[in-house]
Amino acid sequence: MAYTGKDVPAQHSPALVAGAGLYTGDVKLDRMTHAHVVRSPFAAARILSIDASAALELPGVVAVVTGDDLRAQGYAMPVEGFGEGVKPKPFDLFPLAVDRVRFAGEGVAAVIAEDPYTAKQAALLVDVEYEDTDPVVDAERALAPDSPLVEPDWGSNVLFEARMTSGNAAQIIASAAHTVGGELHHHRYTGAAMEPRAYVADYDPYRRTLSFWASTQCPHPMRTLLGQTLHLPENDIRVIQPNVGGAFGLKIPYFQEEALIAALSVVCGRPVRWIAERREDLLSGGHAREGHFRWQAAFEPDGHVTALQVRYVADVGAPSALAGWGQCYVTGFALPTCYKIRDTDVEVIAVTTNKCAWNAYRGFGKESSSWLMDRVMDAVARETGLDRTAVRLRNFIQPEEFPYPQNGGAIIDSGNYPKALKRVLEMIDYANFPALQAAARAEGRYVGLGLGQELTPEGCSIAGTARFNGWDGATVRIGPSGEVTVLTGVTSPGTGNETALAQIAADRLGIELKYVKVIQGDTSICPYGLGNFSSRGVIMGGSAVHIAAGELREKLFKVAGNMLEVSPGDLECEDGRIMLKGAPFRYVDTKDVVTKIYSDCHGAAACGVEPGLEATRYFRHDNVYHQPETQGRYSAYPSWANQATALIAEIDPDTGVIKILRYCAVHDSGKIINPMTAEGNVHGGTAQGIGGALFEQLVYDDYGQLTTTTFMDYTLPTAMEIPHIELEHQETLSPFSPLGAKGVGESGITSPLGALCGAVEDALREFDVRIDRLPLSPERVWRAIQAQGDRA
Amino acid sequence: MIAGEFEFFAPPTLPDALRLLQEHGSACKVLAGGMTLLPVMTLGLAQPRAIVSLNHLQGLAGVEDVGPALRIGAMMRHATLGKHPLVLQHAPLLAAAARGIGDVQVRHRGTLGGSLAHAEPAADYLCATATLGARFLLQKQGGERWLDAAGFFIDVMTTALEPDELLTTVEIPKQAAGAGYSHQSLRRVEGAFPIVLASAQIAPGYAPARVGLGGIGPRPVVLEVDDVVKGGLTPAALEAVGARAFDAAQQALSDLNGSGDYRRAMARVYACRALEAAAAHLQAGGGR
Repeated sequence: MAYTGKDVPAQHSPALVAGAGLYTGDVKLDRMTHAHVVRSPFAAARILSIDASAALELPGVVAVVTGDDLRAQGYAMPVEGFGEGVKPKPFDLFPLAVDRVRFAGEGVAAVIAEDPYTAKQAALLVDVEYEDTDPVVDAERALAPDSPLVEPDWGSNVLFEARMTSGNAAQIIASAAHTVGGELHHHRYTGAAMEPRAYVADYDPYRRTLSFWASTQCPHPMRTLLGQTLHLPENDIRVIQPNVGGAFGLKIPYFQEEALIAALSVVCGRPVRWIAERREDLLSGGHAREGHFRWQAAFEPDGHVTALQVRYVADVGAPSALAGWGQCYVTGFALPTCYKIRDTDVEVIAVTTNKCAWNAYRGFGKESSSWLMDRVMDAVARETGLDRTAVRLRNFIQPEEFPYPQNGGAIIDSGNYPKALKRVLEMIDYANFPALQAAARAEGRYVGLGLGQELTPEGCSIAGTARFNGWDGATVRIGPSGEVTVLTGVTSPGTGNETALAQIAADRLGIELKYVKVIQGDTSICPYGLGNFSSRGVIMGGSAVHIAAGELREKLFKVAGNMLEVSPGDLECEDGRIMLKGAPFRYVDTKDVVTKIYSDCHGAAACGVEPGLEATRYFRHDNVYHQPETQGRYSAYPSWANQATALIAEIDPDTGVIKILRYCAVHDSGKIINPMTAEGNVHGGTAQGIGGALFEQLVYDDYGQLTTTTFMDYTLPTAMEIPHIELEHQETLSPFSPLGAKGVGESGITSPLGALCGAVEDALREFDVRIDRLPLSPERVWRAIQAQGDRA
Repeated sequence: MIAGEFEFFAPPTLPDALRLLQEHGSACKVLAGGMTLLPVMTLGLAQPRAIVSLNHLQGLAGVEDVGPALRIGAMMRHATLGKHPLVLQHAPLLAAAARGIGDVQVRHRGTLGGSLAHAEPAADYLCATATLGARFLLQKQGGERWLDAAGFFIDVMTTALEPDELLTTVEIPKQAAGAGYSHQSLRRVEGAFPIVLASAQIAPGYAPARVGLGGIGPRPVVLEVDDVVKGGLTPAALEAVGARAFDAAQQALSDLNGSGDYRRAMARVYACRALEAAAAHLQAGGGR
């Protein structure tokens, strides 16, 4: 293998670093108009009337469109479930609010104008009369029988609930000699991509075709969904994904604005461009993570956890066509993560509120499962007096037990959790930490160590959805000059998977990387595929490329075998040559083989193969279970990347400020195609995890108003707050994918949650501080110290 | 993106600017670095009918040595101020404050006058100028007045500036030779607005000794602490200063980054830290 496993700079990087990326905002079309969305100032209100007359009088305004206008056209948003039995209650959804608004910031009308400034100014002139109603802003209170309802027809605010039980956890806990329990609150935050949502729609009323440029992760599913909304045949729609400036799950369709901008172009017969402002993205660009856990565990004095009960109430915001609410289901499904706990009882309640809907965000609920398990393991260690690592090691699924059937129904493909944990403890010199901690304490400093054990199921494959499935396609084409073009259904949000795909194709064909070009993100030329989510670029896309390139390799070998007068089975390829195994001096240039196929197809060497050098193949991941009646299980996740993390942090007891002194991690996502880009992914995930644990927070007030609508209030970490990340890879290959890869796109975001909580508690042991709520703002930590000080 | 139309003026001279302010009064906003005005206009929180930009004015961005003090032009950018030789020599505390503001982009656009006239309570310059005993020159067509910090800063984002007045110059008394100083702030992340900040300046002999606090109330607070620290910075003296800071922060503001209680406690912590650092600096010989 010439390229797999080697650091190769991402192919897109030079253009992106030079500022020469081409983003949706760079698309400029003749007669292009600009849209601005009029947004509700209320979290919950009836729309009494909309008067656009003043806006229409402003010179340059082309049209004002309301939700009623779109409903009259039948432009509805399809709402997908999250697999069999995992569905929200039914509701109607249109690209703009109709009759009532369900969160502050929901679109109620759209202005189209000749320039963006006029559109924004005109939007201020659209006079919407509202009658505001009591908003639902707290998930626990939303469950009370007398709560106002987000969806009056539902009879409650429960969007979805699930109970996942294995064994008799309740009984075991009730009769156990040793139990421990607690609560845990995860706050609301989001991904905050540098590039906000952006769409340009161009409907040609004569040809009845729609071109749609979108900062999206999923061009083909977007095309399917737009076709459903606009009643257009899919082959009349072309979705193009230019460069994307960050996505993190939050650019998975289907936003109301996506349908809206396309619909506006159809309605006015001109191109329409819309770029979200930061405030609009924070208000309506998808949120994640707000939820409350109550948990109880039974354990034995040796640290063995025998049963776990969890009740998880998630505040998923307003009903939407986004898949975000499914994250709370995945949180429950992934429990008890890396651990063997036979008896578990997990209840998940997704509560709808008058807040921005959840969309997918890196981690997709799995981060909460692992965070909860870190807290459980730390609590059991405290109760038993055992070392925190000993409790984890006592409860881990053992390396020889894979593939392991986990309680939620999944088959966890592979892993070696003890090895990764032991290695990270070596890296951070765990054995000597007590001495280091004591020495710091003697200087008046508070230093603690925390552990984060993350398990990140990947390759999301949900039965019966247009968006999430466990397959993807690739076309590999060798041109007459020997150059290779790879077209894939997976896309890159800037993370470099195109480079990994090129490496895979180059290795399979034995061709230099510089001759391989990868094309992604255009539904008119790429094979149908599902795009980018759940770390699937290499798992699904890479496997499809491997298989398609393998088909061409066979063909090349057949012709080369004729040329060399040897059996194709005895050949191998490298560096642009096809050669006899063990006798590399007997070779032909791959380019000459290609020439034979293109230019001499009736000749002796190539007449036995079909002309042409192009293969389109699809890969389906087999560790997915959608036939519970015969397979005895349902599982949407085939691939289980994992990471052991240990960090050392110092707490300033006077201010509550946390500083991370060391950050060590051993990451295992199976075969690493490109360590450089893989590490980039883990670094980015780590930064977002630290951001969520310490800084980022979306705060609603009692009226359902978002109070964090700029980056002045929504605090993101900078490079100064992110420590140097000491990262090693452990490659425990997945037996279910041809390359053994498990996916790296979400890795790293989870560990900081548990590790930082553990480090704070460890550093402040003398204050007996308990952390059960994030973010760990300086004031929260300071208050925890004060509360214990006051009690003492 | 800023919606709505406005008139834009870029006067070439100070008299031109003052005449425009006289003409347009409260309907216009002065644009210096734009680090606050532009976001505020983008969010629709300010919709001025006219903008008077000072970015084409000559002569408002220099430093003049007037003997006992420096006079700094209001259009001095933070990045320039932070490394200006005269400021480094005679008002190093102000230079340190400038170097900590925002991020690189902000420091190259934002101005001394713009920040002071906006009067965000947690701005580095409010705390630093108040601590240093600065005076502020407010000019209008046909008149001018000098105010000290107590007269200039009125309330949260409110100063004594009348609609026809422009802050043109800030006068900073020169630091005594060998003085110790420190400027410290508590921020969530690099570049964020401080939650609280403290500036301290101690002249040789521990008099005068001053601690300024910012972010704890509507206006900067300056504590004259000569009486407490005159015998040196003993633990008892520090505790006394901390207690004064705690008292001074009784009406500390609350926001997402910190409650009033937290800010009050941090006023104590940061007053002590700044004073300790300034004293250590003094002990080490002080200066820039």
